[in-house]
Amino acid sequence: MNFIDLLMLGFSEALTPTNLGFCLLGALLGTLIGVLPGIGPTATIAVLLPITFYLPPLAGLIMLAGIYYGAQYGGSTTAILVNLPGEASSVVTAIDGYKMAQKGQAGSALAVAALGSFFAGTVATFGIAIAGPTLSSFALSFGPTEYVSLMLFGLLAATVLARGPVLKAIGMILLGLLLGMVGIDASSGEERLTFSAVELFDGIDFVVIAIGLFGFAEIIENLENHEARAVLVSKLSRLWPTREDFRRAWPAVLRGTGVGTFLGVLPGGGATLASFCAYSVEKKISRNPSEFGEGAVEGVAGPEAANNAGAQSSFIPLLTLGIPSNNMMAMMLSAFIIHGITPGPTVLATQPEIFWGLVASMWIGNLMLVVINLPLIGVWVKLLTVPYRLLYPAILLFCCVGVYSINNRIFDVVLAAGFGLLGYAFRKAKCEAGPLLLGFVLGPLLETNIRRAMTISHGDPSVFYERPISLVLLIATVGMLVLMVLPSFRRTREVAFQDEEG
Amino acid sequence: MSAPRKAGGAGDRPDLLTAVLFVGFGALGLWAGRDLTLGTASAMGPGYLPTIVCWLLIIVGVTVGGIGAFRDRQEIATPKLWPVAIILASVVGFAFIAEYFGFVAAAVWLLLVGSIADRDSKLREVILLTAGLTAFGALVFIVGLGVQMPIWPF
Repeated sequence: MNFIDLLMLGFSEALTPTNLGFCLLGALLGTLIGVLPGIGPTATIAVLLPITFYLPPLAGLIMLAGIYYGAQYGGSTTAILVNLPGEASSVVTAIDGYKMAQKGQAGSALAVAALGSFFAGTVATFGIAIAGPTLSSFALSFGPTEYVSLMLFGLLAATVLARGPVLKAIGMILLGLLLGMVGIDASSGEERLTFSAVELFDGIDFVVIAIGLFGFAEIIENLENHEARAVLVSKLSRLWPTREDFRRAWPAVLRGTGVGTFLGVLPGGGATLASFCAYSVEKKISRNPSEFGEGAVEGVAGPEAANNAGAQSSFIPLLTLGIPSNNMMAMMLSAFIIHGITPGPTVLATQPEIFWGLVASMWIGNLMLVVINLPLIGVWVKLLTVPYRLLYPAILLFCCVGVYSINNRIFDVVLAAGFGLLGYAFRKAKCEAGPLLLGFVLGPLLETNIRRAMTISHGDPSVFYERPISLVLLIATVGMLVLMVLPSFRRTREVAFQDEEG
Repeated sequence: MSAPRKAGGAGDRPDLLTAVLFVGFGALGLWAGRDLTLGTASAMGPGYLPTIVCWLLIIVGVTVGGIGAFRDRQEIATPKLWPVAIILASVVGFAFIAEYFGFVAAAVWLLLVGSIADRDSKLREVILLTAGLTAFGALVFIVGLGVQMPIWPF
């Protein structure tokens, strides 16, 4: 089958009434949680993961993906209108977007954000469609050695490119690996690290950890940082950018798309990193950088295009290599696994309808989001006035039922509460929980491949640097670690992330 | 969310807490896996990699703590016991009530107790919300999606 045939196959899958319905549902939910501050896509997907078990595989994946990129659209709405970034990835949008809104250009900013996101989403979708088959045919030649090196590279790159101290992130990955080892050892059949609890013999379920660390811990933290949310919604002007805005925005959208698509592919990348980089790129290229922070349309267009492109292109490593690059993709990986599908190069060959259906649905979802966000903007703004005290009990109930439904036992609910407490402690210790999830999902894969590689080589570790692809990946990994030690690189990295922590 | 910084003192408290957690889990892992077969590099036993990971975790923990001890003093954002205790109690309560008395009783407990975690909650709202969400949950999750949980205690 050639490229066009495969895309047609994808669209025929994505356009079935069920899949179209779940695509719309995902896009709506994504916009909703994007608009509401205090609920992120990670927590939402954690809550919905068990429910996808009841859906056909493709429908579930389409819905979860829709939530992720839908949140990018929704997040920009609140950032522009009320200076409250609904998501981390729209923090920079708030800087110039809110200023534009104050100057009476809210409509223009929203339109630039939505249209820029749509353009970026379209490009990134094609990026996946093109990169997918190429990368996965390359990945088919990977043996256990290459996979081990690739995973080490991915895990370490994720810590360097994500925010927060690298050493803490490495510790969190290790803890995730350790948690992933709980249960029956696949090759010897011995139970390990279970404290003789029968409930742990099958290992800890991903959903239990995700809901504990992101669902419960997030609710507790939000209740603790209790602050009055003064919502001052700017007046909406005409919903179409002026010709001048268009002229200034489109090159920024192009650059943002490029930056976003590239950074999304990197481990640890994704929407947030992409939008921050795009903003600094725009500021650097601009002929009058002083305009930034005062309502420059480029400062909205670039980051918004980038975060959407990044959100989508971060699917590339997951779909082609089976390696998730950030915690959202770790969630997606476990959504695949719930249905007994292991994402990676073989899925493309054996179940092309899953890959192409998902890709096609992303484009359709982006189209839906433009419609959902532009004409219906008033509805979303109204939702902002719903107080958190009415929202969190609902989230709490969904979390509890979700965790219970995985295995229909209360043990998981109590364990999730324990992880909630742990997640709370880690927030106090200023440790990001994302790397733990990455370590947890990659752990079993990493262990199997290390063991395989070492068995094949009779315990000789030199295979890792004798095979060329593996050697290149290991050199890149070491290179990154060396970079982290260099003071100049550390300073740049700190500057790149400092706004985010404000 | 920058914690207050006091002049003069040393010791980054969040870093020290991280160190305690990492070293604690590493040690717990070593203790829990003390009887596992280590095996050799070419034929790894179930305990081989867990032991390595635990030691790495301890090393990272000690390093984070060691560096943190010499940093400027930083306090941990003061924990408020109320939300933590209430949320955890409501969730654990939900689990046990669901087992013996079914979904409706458990959901009512979860939502009523959970609501007092936020001091802004108003009684009328909480009652309406609880009734609405319980009905919604029973219909959607148990009847609709078929989650295996009795609705009523009998």
